[in-house]
Order: sequence, then C-alpha cells, then structure tokens
Amino acid sequence: MVTKNNAEVVVIGTGVVGVLIAEQLLDAGISVLMLEAGPRVSRAEIVENFRNAPLGLKGDTSVSYPPAPWAPHPTGPTGGAHDYLQLSGPDSYAQTYIRYAGGSTWHWAGTSWRLTPEDMRLKSLYGVGRDWAFDYDTLDPFYTRAEYKLGICGPSNPEQQWPRRARLKPYPMPPLPFSPGETRFTQIVKELGYNNIPVSQARNSGMPYDDRPACCANNNCVPVCPVGAKYDAATALGRLEAKGAKILADAVVYKVETNGQNRIEAVHYLDPNKQSHRVAGKLFVIAANGLETPKLLLMSKDDRNPNGIANRSDQVGRNMMDHPQLTLTVTTKEPFWSGVGPVVNSGIMETSQGAFRSEHAGAYFRYNNFARNRFVTFAALKKGLVGKALDEEIRRMTACTADIVAAHEILPHPDNRLTLSDKTDWLGLPKPSIHYDVGDYVRRSAEVYSLPIGKKIAAAMGATDVKISPKFAQSKHIMGGTIMGADAMNSVVDTDCRSHDHDNLFLPGGGAMASTACGNSTITMAALALRSADAIVSQMKGAH
Amino acid sequence: MGGFLQAHFDDENATRRQLSEAKMKLPVSRRRLLIGSAAMAVGYVALSTSPAFPAAPAAAASGEALNAKFMRLSNLLINHRLSPAVGARIAEGAAADHKDMAAMMDQIIAIAEQKQARVVEDFFEDIPAGPAKEFAHWVIFAWYSGVSSPKPDAKVFTFEEALTFQTTSDVVTIPSYGLSGPNLWSQATVPLSQMPRF
Amino acid sequence: MSLINKLRAALAAAAMVTVAVPAVAQQFPDSVVERGRYLATASDCTACHTNTGGKPMAGGHVISSPVGGIVATNITPSKSFGIGTYTETQFADAVRKGVLPDGTHLFPAMPYTAYAVMTDEDIHALYAYFMQAVTPVDEALTAKTDLPFPLNIRLSMFGWNLLFANAKPFVADPARSAEWNRGRYLVEGAAHCGTCHTPRGIFMQEKTDQPLAGAQVGPWFAPNITKDKTAGIGSWSHDELVTYLKTGRLVGKAQAAGSMGEAITHSFTHMTDADLSAMATYVLDLPASPAGAVAGGTRFDQGKAGNELAGFRGEGFAKGMKGPKEGAQIYSANCASCHGYNAQGTTDAYYPSLFSNSATGGPNAANLVATILFGVDRETGHGHVFMPPFGGQPNAVTSLTNAEVASLSNYVLKTYGNSTLTVTPAEVQTIRIGGPQSDLLLMARVGMGAGAAVALIAALVLLVYGLRRRRPAAPAPTGV
Repeated sequence: MVTKNNAEVVVIGTGVVGVLIAEQLLDAGISVLMLEAGPRVSRAEIVENFRNAPLGLKGDTSVSYPPAPWAPHPTGPTGGAHDYLQLSGPDSYAQTYIRYAGGSTWHWAGTSWRLTPEDMRLKSLYGVGRDWAFDYDTLDPFYTRAEYKLGICGPSNPEQQWPRRARLKPYPMPPLPFSPGETRFTQIVKELGYNNIPVSQARNSGMPYDDRPACCANNNCVPVCPVGAKYDAATALGRLEAKGAKILADAVVYKVETNGQNRIEAVHYLDPNKQSHRVAGKLFVIAANGLETPKLLLMSKDDRNPNGIANRSDQVGRNMMDHPQLTLTVTTKEPFWSGVGPVVNSGIMETSQGAFRSEHAGAYFRYNNFARNRFVTFAALKKGLVGKALDEEIRRMTACTADIVAAHEILPHPDNRLTLSDKTDWLGLPKPSIHYDVGDYVRRSAEVYSLPIGKKIAAAMGATDVKISPKFAQSKHIMGGTIMGADAMNSVVDTDCRSHDHDNLFLPGGGAMASTACGNSTITMAALALRSADAIVSQMKGAH
Repeated sequence: MGGFLQAHFDDENATRRQLSEAKMKLPVSRRRLLIGSAAMAVGYVALSTSPAFPAAPAAAASGEALNAKFMRLSNLLINHRLSPAVGARIAEGAAADHKDMAAMMDQIIAIAEQKQARVVEDFFEDIPAGPAKEFAHWVIFAWYSGVSSPKPDAKVFTFEEALTFQTTSDVVTIPSYGLSGPNLWSQATVPLSQMPRF
Repeated sequence: MSLINKLRAALAAAAMVTVAVPAVAQQFPDSVVERGRYLATASDCTACHTNTGGKPMAGGHVISSPVGGIVATNITPSKSFGIGTYTETQFADAVRKGVLPDGTHLFPAMPYTAYAVMTDEDIHALYAYFMQAVTPVDEALTAKTDLPFPLNIRLSMFGWNLLFANAKPFVADPARSAEWNRGRYLVEGAAHCGTCHTPRGIFMQEKTDQPLAGAQVGPWFAPNITKDKTAGIGSWSHDELVTYLKTGRLVGKAQAAGSMGEAITHSFTHMTDADLSAMATYVLDLPASPAGAVAGGTRFDQGKAGNELAGFRGEGFAKGMKGPKEGAQIYSANCASCHGYNAQGTTDAYYPSLFSNSATGGPNAANLVATILFGVDRETGHGHVFMPPFGGQPNAVTSLTNAEVASLSNYVLKTYGNSTLTVTPAEVQTIRIGGPQSDLLLMARVGMGAGAAVALIAALVLLVYGLRRRRPAAPAPTGV
C-alpha cells in the first residue's frame, strides 16, 4: 500500500511529533510514508562529531550536526548556515533545531514539564494572552500516554511532582539522583522558600526502557546521548520501518498541493539532485517543527489560498514564541560540583505561577548540571599558571562556578512573525525571516521578579561574583506559528491540530500551543501529537 | 590512566587489587625518577596500561627525534604522565605553527637542566619572556585543553586525554563517557584539596 | 458472524469453562507445593514454557533450532490444553523419560536426560506444585512444532534414548559429603549444566568423559567450567563461583549473557545460598579439562587498557572509518561511552572492563560477537543489567553491519582480549543467524537407512537448548 509516491497518510517530519503519530497510525493498520528533509545519520557519527569538535565549540549544540546543503538548519558561526534565519526586531529569535531524521530531540535535554491548568487559562485568570481551546483535564490522559511512550522518569512523592495535582498514573520510572551541586542548591533555595524538585525527564532511570539502556551519567544529553538512554525520536525509526512505515530522508518538501475542494491532494519535494517528486495521500501531517511548518505553509500559497495554506486567519507564522532565558553565572567560595548525572535534572517551577501573571511573566529556575571544564579551562589557562597552581585553578573553577537559568513565559503576539525572506537557500527556497520582540511582559518580569529572585539565590549560594547575560537568549522551544483555537478566524488549527481550512491536513506540535508557560514544550507537543493521532485514526476509519 | 584506575581499584576486593598491581600500577614516585630523563617516553610505554602507542604517521627518523624531544619538554613543563601518542599529535601541530620549535625546545630544556628541575615550578620562572616562554605556555595549553587555541577553527589533538578533565576526574565525568552504574552516582561534595593523581 | 456461529462459539466457550474447572483438586501440603515451586525454579521450566509476555507455564515459546521451530507446550494443569489430566506417574515419565501418556516421545529440547536423576520425592513435589499452584490456562497454542522430515519422526527418539538416555534417579555416594551429593544432584539434574557446557559426540550425546569442558551452543559458547586452573575456572574460589551464580557477574573476570544470563535471571539467583554452595562444591571437584586453554594465562586475564584515539581524534568520523583505525573508531563511537575510552569500564566496575574479561579473552570469539549482536539482559536482586543489542533488531538503538562487527571485534580482541583470534564478516553472519549451522538434515535424509543417523538428527535438537530464549531478531533459517 505504501510506496515512495503514495500512502494513506503522508507525514512530513521525522521528529518526536511525526514519529509518535506515525506509530499510532501504523498500529491502527494505516499505511504511512514519512518525508524527512535532512539526512539519516548514525548516532555513532554524531557522538564522534561532538568528541572531534574543538573544546571552544563544544557548547555549540549544532557542531555535532553539520547541516546538509539541501536542508539547512541554524548553526553557530562555523557551522555553515549561521545566516539561515533572517532575524529582525529588538530581540533575536536565533533558535537552533536539527533537520536530520529524528529531528531536534537528538539534542534536547529530555526535560518534560507539563503545563498546569492555570497555564492554559491565562486570559480568563489573568487577562493576558490566550486561553487554550480545551482544559487541562482534556490533555491529561494524553500527557500520561506521552510519558509512557517516551519513558519519563519522575518522583512518586506528590509534593515533588509538577503540576501539584493527582496523576492518572505514576511516572514509569523513578527520578534520577542529584549531583552534589544540585543537592546543595536544593538545600539553599529551600531556606529561601523555594522547592527545587526533580525534573520529569525522558531518560531511563535505573533500568532499561523500551529496549534502550539505563542512563550512565555521561552528562552529554545535550548535544547527544551516546547510548540512547534519553528518548530521542531517532530511536523509533527502525521500529517504525519494522511496522511497515516507509521513511524517505533527504526529501525537502517545498509545496503543498490543494484540489478543487481545497483539500490537500499531494506534496512535492526536492531531492539532493534538485529533482522534484510528487507524493499523494489521503491525509497529510506536517510536523516539521514550529518554524519550518509555517514556512512551508506560506511557501505553498496558491490561487485558492493566496495567504498560504491553512492561512485564512492570517495567523500562520504569527505568535512566534519561545522561553526567553537569562543566565546568572555564579562563582562561589565553596565547591558545588556540576556535571554528575544528566545535564538538567531539577528545577523550581512554583515561581512560574501566581497572580502576578496579570502584570508580568513567571519564571522557572534551574541549576544547569553540565560538567564545567569546557567552560572554564581557557579562562584558567589564560591566567598564565603552571604546575600545581594550574591544576588547582581548573579544579576550583570547575567546582565553584554554576549557571542558574531563569526561563520566562512569553505571550502570543501577532507581530512576532515569521515571513518568507527574499534570500534563498541552496535549493533556491526562501529562507525564514523572523521579527521578534520578547515584549514588556517578559522584560518587566526580569526587572521586578526573575532577576531579583536569581540574585537572591546567588547571594544565598555564597556568590563572590555573578555575571548576568546581557540579553535574552533562546530556549529553542519553538511555539505559536500555527496557533490553536476555537475561532477559525483567529487561529490556524482546531483542538485536534487539524487545519481549520483543510480537513485532511494536520499541523500538530509546538506551533499549536496557545500559551508557553515556563517549562519546556516537548511533552506538551507529544501529548498534542497523540491527540491528533486519535483524531486521524478515527477520521481515516470513518472515511473507509 | 594508571593513577585513575589505581585509585578506584583500591576499593575493590583482593583479587581485583592483584589485577591492578600486576597490570596497572605506575607509582607516582616513579614519575619523579623519570622526569628529565630521555627514558621517560620509553618508560611510559613499558609501564603503562596502554599498548604501544603508534607514533605519528609515517614518522621519519627526524620526526621521531622531534617527538622524543617534544615529550621530554612536555614532561618538564607538566608534572603528570603524558601519552606519547597525544604528544606526537601536539608536536605535529606545533611544528606547523612554530618554525623555530626545535631551538625553543633546546633552550627551555637547557634552562630546566641547569636548574636540575624536578617539577615545572623549579624552572618556569627562569624562562625569559619572549617566544620561548610563549611556546612553553602553548605547550601547556595544548596538553590541558587538547586543542591548539580557544578559537572555533582550532586543531584538535585529543579530547579524552586533555588534562583539564584529570583535575576533576574524582567527581566529574568526561562528557559523553559514563560515570557509574545506573543511578549509582550520588556522592557527597568532594573537597577541592583532594587533587586526583594523574 | 452469523447467529448460528455465535451460538456455536458461545457453546464452545461454555464447554471449555466446564472442562477447565478442575475436579476436587488433590490437596497437597503447602510445604510440598513450595518445595515443588523451588525445584521448578531450579529447573528453569519457565525459560521455555512461559512465552515472552505470556501466561506462566502456558507454553507457546518457539525454541528456534537450525532445522525448525519447536514449540514449548502448555504445562499448566488445564485439563484440555495442559497437563491437568496427568497422573503423577505420567508426569514423572514425561519429566524423566521424555515420554507422554499417549506414548509420544518428546524432543530432547526438553532436558529429560538431565531431569532423569530427579528423585521420586522431588518429582512428587514438582507434581504437587504444577497441579495445585500453577493457574490453569485453557488456551490452545497458536504455533505448532513443525520440523521437516525426517526430524518430525518422534519415534526416532526411541533408538536415541536406548543409546544415550540412561540416567537413573539419583543415588547418593556415601563416601562423599552431603553437600557434594546435593551439588551433584542439582548440577546433573535440575540445573542441567551439562546440557550446554558438556561437549557432544558424533551422535550429539553429551561426552560423559569430558563433563563441562565447554561447547558451542547456538550463537554463544558455553565455556570450560572445570577446575582446570588455566582452561577452566580453577582460578576461582568457591565463593566466587557462588557469587557468579547468584549475580551473574564476577568483577574483573566474567559476566553472564545469553542462555546463562537467562539461567541466572530465572533460576540460579532465586536458589538458596546453600544450594549454590553445593553446586560450586561439586563443579569445582569435577576432573580438570585442558580444553579451550588460551595462550599466556587464563581467559580472565587477557589484554590490557589502552586506546588508538590519537589515530583519528579531531580528524572527522568519515576519515576514522577508513583504513586501519576503523575498528578503534567503531569502538569509540559505539562502546566507549559505557566501557571507557581505554576499555577500563566505569570506576564502580558496573560497566565491565573489556580486558580481563572472559567475553573477550576466551578461546574463540563467539561470545564477543554474540554480545555485540544480541546484547546482555540479566535481572537479579542486584538490578537489571542491560546492554543494548547492535544486531539489527527493530528496536535496537544502533545496528552494526557484519563488516563493522568484525572490524570492531578484531580491534577489541587485538587490544583488550585474546589477540590470537580474528573474526570475519562471514563468521559474524553465522552468529547473527543463530550460530554454526549444521548439514545434519541433509546427512540424515541421505542416510535414512541407518537408524543411527536418525538418532543423530533427533539428537541435534539438543543443540538448540541454548537458543531457547533467543530473541526473534535473529530468526532461524526456517523462520520461527
């Protein structure tokens, strides 16, 4: 039934969202063809790319993932595609993501905070942003399924869970142990009245899960887990093929074709030889991430859809969101020691909630648990020390520095907008252009809320020096560009992530999120994917 | 790596300790005896846990002599056991960027010998400011960071054996290398004063 | 489904329920039942008779063999699908003689030649356990044993049994200690160590003069476990052997995978320390065999730490994969994260070093290759040890080609293991498909006239014992 030109359902994108949906469809007996713009690269190669990279570049996640010429993704200065995103506005939407088979979960940390019920009702409760088109209880069972699909570890003690609300099922695995620094940090913030709780994360804790091994604390979740103890979508590709999926890598979809009923008839892709191919299907899922999906929709405008596919509302590419973050690099007198265990392992979530949200954003604080040698070695060497003094200085700086990150929520704003640049990429396709302003809601939080809390924490840690990042950095949590809503004139997709304009087109993932909250977006994207998958299965079964 | 392994084998049972003594032990005191001696490179291979490290690719006799001298210099500048295979890579990189490398090595070695130096602290101050001192700093930089410079286009000589990781090997893993069995990495904060032996 | 058919189905279901309700069950004392439960664990019945994810003892697990699939049967006390109608004598004949109540001969995938030493008292306890404590499962097996001619002639087992199945119920040797006798009883009986570890003769019978001297069993090599100081495990203390049986691991020496990993998981780790001690006492008293000695020491002390990273670090993965450093590059990329860049393992020794390790230091490379392809999966009270497989399983995190496995194996052997060995991609393929294949089927068909040949074929089935729980990722040629 599935060929390289046809399947019942065509899925564009092989990241976590595409992979989760594809497996649900395959399990329901529906044929699936997956189109991936980028190459299919072995874990072995990615691991060695990291190790072969100069020490000065090891903090750049894209260095392990050189983009293919035909599937550029944003890179650091030496990665060959640093100008892929055309950026404008007061703040920089300089995201990174990966166009490889398996998508950007290759280099995610695995952090899987759920939204809270309040996070989904910002307009009703605080008069800002948008409400979701459904409530938390609707999403809850899909969160649970997503947690079991990905293999999420987390605490069983309700006091340590987020949100603080009865779970439908326990986490499939217990939490991971803290590093010495995390333990100390937790004690310190407790005295300030904050609870630093174990992060629920997609990492095998103390046991294998889904035929992937347990975490061995190699502290390399970002940029790549060498052993697959962290869930990434690449680990599912072989299983999907065993279940009958066809996966075409190096297939850059550049056009979505509609028919007379304004349903989707086919998609067209370019191969690395710049040859075009047409792929037909009954139903289409575009899960190419929150930036490439709106780009493709805008690129595909036709006579019936002059603003682009699925864009009767003119909301495609608007409301681009992320979690703007500020980092406090703290130097302490006493050693903390980061780098034991996974790179992100705990966080303070309660600071994301409160009545203040009518005035400014909430923030989530985390103690980064990266081993710090890569950040301090050059600075220690620059001091001109030798012998014992040099050894001691590197050891001191590794143990006695720490990064505290404040990640903020942001409100959807139509002017934070992705459009098509007149600059083109290797294939001649338009590069994405993004205008971005984090807005007063976020800036006010930094001023009166998050940075004051951060400084208070730093002081309690015994900081002798605190360096605060001068501007907001990106969290690489791309949200909002195909926003969900009940009103077809003001949103792109319905509550199943189905396009309001085309009933056989689904646009699931971060683009649909109507609010960001402060926690990482992937587990919500995964829950939305499973919800979409159910809707697709029933739609396909009804169609027969 | 001998010290690293030895430290953890001390906690194991008698059988395991026997194993470590037979195969892995390189007492730190022995290093002192060998410092400044041309026997160092040979001694490392003979006593270390590693198989004979391959020399630089297709090394001519002059290349081997350069490597030997570079290892001698490195052992004067760094108070730790060094891998000749990594040394060959660094020497290769140094030769490309420093035309007068041989002369600078001779100059630094002569100063150390004159001071009968046992550790770098014994003679480093005596190297006059200028190209030789800068080169000495670069050699140390390369061994500790594993790269030729902090820049994105730096040459990479080693990752795993960069000495920066050895200064914290009792607590922190080398990223991408496992630290312990599943969920067995809980530990109390380790004091700064307990410098690992390496 | 028509109404008639629905009715029929309902009637059939009702009939099954009726049949399934046991008559007034014989009441065995709890102590006897528990003793039977323990013996069933020691005998590892579940290894074959419980299917992956299936109901306990309900059968259905396909034991792959080089000549076809053998389906383990339902041994729950279901009267229609299991052994619920067996008398104790019939049960005893099945377990000890391999003969069913209707006269059918079992294939020796069922190790009845070992179980033959079981005492009447223990058979009684096992019977009590199966009849009283195992939940009856009234379900027909979906898979059927389907061996090609002439292997499907079960009667051929009769001749083989005459020749080789001559064990009698155990009689203690009064000259030996009670512990030694207990150890012998368990080793030769329930634990059936010889089924894998004893080499086989031309008729595939166990060579009784070379007990436990080592043999290839499917993809894995069951090594020499006699007391020989160099070729066997004579360098282990009695307590070390007990530790190994309890945990599947002896730090700095060996760890259990494959069939032995399963035996540890399902059986040995649940046995009492006294029984494990008795088994160790007996095993370490068997005659030393020099079979499978490796040069320059034992299989536990080959190789040393080291790396070849300077040959490719910083040069790019593609370059590292070309030329003489390929094996070292594959090792670094796929193995070193857990086993260390010097193959030294983690400092807590949870992830073993690859030097001083019987998996790399043995007399052949089978266990190294099988470990790479099939991984390790062993669960004891000390945790769940899991090394992922690299053999192309649908859910494998990473899969390596035969050429890559060969290249990797050769690097590991040269640097960390028995440096006299090399591996070819063809040999990797042999392990990948389940171990050395046999041309006995052809031989048997050619030589049908000779009864011995038939016996030979049937006995071949014994070979498959070690394959019993192998994952379906490496299907047997006939496709199970």
